[in-house]
Amino acid sequence: MKINQSIQNQCPENESLPPMLSKLRQGADGINTPDGYFDSLGSRIVDGKANRKGASFLSVAFPSVSKPLLWVPTLAAVVAVVLLVFVLPEKKAAEIPAVDEWTEIRMAFDASYAEEVLLSESHTVDREIENIDLSYIQSATYTGKNEPTRDEISEYLKDQEIEPDILNEH
Amino acid sequence: MPEFTDNELIELFRNADKKHYAFNLLVRKYQEKIYFFVRRIVIDHDDADDVVQNIFIKIYKNLDTFREDSKLFTWLYRIAVNESLSFLKNKRFQCYLSLTSPEAMMMKALQEDTHYDGTEIQKRLREAIVKLPPKQQVVFNMRYYDDLSYAEISDILGTSVGALKASYHIAVKKIEASVTAN
Repeated sequence: MKINQSIQNQCPENESLPPMLSKLRQGADGINTPDGYFDSLGSRIVDGKANRKGASFLSVAFPSVSKPLLWVPTLAAVVAVVLLVFVLPEKKAAEIPAVDEWTEIRMAFDASYAEEVLLSESHTVDREIENIDLSYIQSATYTGKNEPTRDEISEYLKDQEIEPDILNEH
Repeated sequence: MPEFTDNELIELFRNADKKHYAFNLLVRKYQEKIYFFVRRIVIDHDDADDVVQNIFIKIYKNLDTFREDSKLFTWLYRIAVNESLSFLKNKRFQCYLSLTSPEAMMMKALQEDTHYDGTEIQKRLREAIVKLPPKQQVVFNMRYYDDLSYAEISDILGTSVGALKASYHIAVKKIEASVTAN
């Protein structure tokens, strides 16, 4: 605060400049403009105000943005490289049979492929079932050693208040 | 070309039939002041032309809503300051991308400026001003070249008169040292 006060005291409204700066202040400073610049500035502003892009951040920080001949071919080349490297190889991979290890792993994690495999396996199972002899299944009974006796079953049914006559139905 | 006061220009501008006429008058009245103010900051003529056009387009778009709580002149200058400082900021970013210092870039712009025919001492003065921090440059140019009062500069920048005096004083010292050293 004291320093600022000291400067303020030295800088009245009409402070005196060093002689060199005071002399340079008088007269022209050397800056000039193209001929007729100010005569046409108004009309150029009026003509340009509808479509003015302006000195946007992009156009100042990256001057080549305003020169499409520079960046359009570059952008096209980048897009082409991306297509060649990432898009086309994926399509080609779908046609190649899964012969290598990485393809098999990839396809194993591919849900649609897994579904196809399951479907084809279930078709195989269906065919096998049709062909096998089912007679042993139809006649199969439970032959466990701990099978309950008729009396035990009747006792159980009484406990559950179910008519034992139900046994006669089966 | 008839001379209108700022208030008359604003009234004329708000009349839909005379909007373009009023705007042309406004441009005529302030174009040189605004141009040279901007040119001293951005150095290059083409850059200054871009910035000046942006300033006047902004004025055209916003003059309808100008609240008149400050003078028109103050408002115009404020827009000019903001646009110039934004331009410098964007240029500095370009420097960082190209790994050059902002100072070197400005020096190069000074040397390549084809619309300049100052003496050697004037060139040294210009170089010394360009080396100042952007806001200090603005304060110095407004006071030294445009002869604005501290009160007017304070209105434009929203900075206290005391701070402006200090800033100008320091700028003068730096410039004097730089010009006499070379």
